[in-house]
Amino acid sequence: MADTAPVTGDEPVVMMDYFMHLEYREVICPIVRRYAAALADGKILGQRSPKSGLVYVPPRGYCPVSSEWLGEDHLVELDDRGTITNFTIVTPVQYYGQEETEPFVKASVLLDGPGGMLSLQDILDHRPDDIRIGMRVEAVWLPEAERLTGEIGNRSYGSVDGAIQGWRATGEPDLPADSFTDKVY
Amino acid sequence: MADLPVSTHVIEFPYTRTLGPVVGPFLTGLRDGQILGIRSNDGRVLVPPTEWDPNTGEALDVGGLVPVGPGGVVETWAWVTRPTTKHPLDHPFAFALIRLDGADTALLHAVDAGTADVMVTGMRVTARFRDERAGTITDLVFVPEGA
Repeated sequence: MADTAPVTGDEPVVMMDYFMHLEYREVICPIVRRYAAALADGKILGQRSPKSGLVYVPPRGYCPVSSEWLGEDHLVELDDRGTITNFTIVTPVQYYGQEETEPFVKASVLLDGPGGMLSLQDILDHRPDDIRIGMRVEAVWLPEAERLTGEIGNRSYGSVDGAIQGWRATGEPDLPADSFTDKVY
Repeated sequence: MADLPVSTHVIEFPYTRTLGPVVGPFLTGLRDGQILGIRSNDGRVLVPPTEWDPNTGEALDVGGLVPVGPGGVVETWAWVTRPTTKHPLDHPFAFALIRLDGADTALLHAVDAGTADVMVTGMRVTARFRDERAGTITDLVFVPEGA
């Protein structure tokens, strides 16, 4: 119901406050549970589709491109280093729940080795203006005792929340964009 | 279904909206302890009042706001055994469609009846306004007439 501050005096009521609050629970599917547990152990798991060759992280149990189920046999451990393939600079508006006050970056990170794309990643220790496409980064893991991956839900694609704080530039030379254009999906 | 792994999510979104020329006076009326309906173009009294005639879509004259109630008749009802935090009362109650005296349509509201045994379609109820009112639909609750 409406959670409204009392109206005092005899002024006409012309506005209404509403506080939308929705709390829900979802049962986590086994492959996401496996992913979250591995993440707490410091490993990023993905699933590689044998038909399309695409790597999904977090694993999602199916490949929408080749239309096939993916299972335990398709799990692959992914690298915790990669390349920024794209990014967005967010200038925060101070809406309810926004904790950021300064512009920040959310980046897509293409992982090395088997591949896999993590989206909406935080880039640490860098001014947004200094982020570049092709920049090499590595994961900054939370200390093992502080990792909490219980909030990863079934729709948290790209989420490493609770295990990886963000990504830090390695200082290696940038990769040219054409080295990863075919892998951006 | 025991011990299935779950994750809990919370979505919150506060907002403010303008009420317009009809709902504004309606909630102002509630704040002042009065329930208002509006006369439609075919002479019926609609509660809660709307800006538009539900049959024709024509604008309704704000001058046609008229007091209704505070008593009325329960047209149908459903008992809420376990209220959630979203409900207007923190103990079991009925949601009911209440056709207020002087109205031609029914208002959906809560009846604080104590037990479901008291609830009967066709029973008379009356509005009980809260002492502290804020200009919201929860400024009142209905109780069985004579209670």
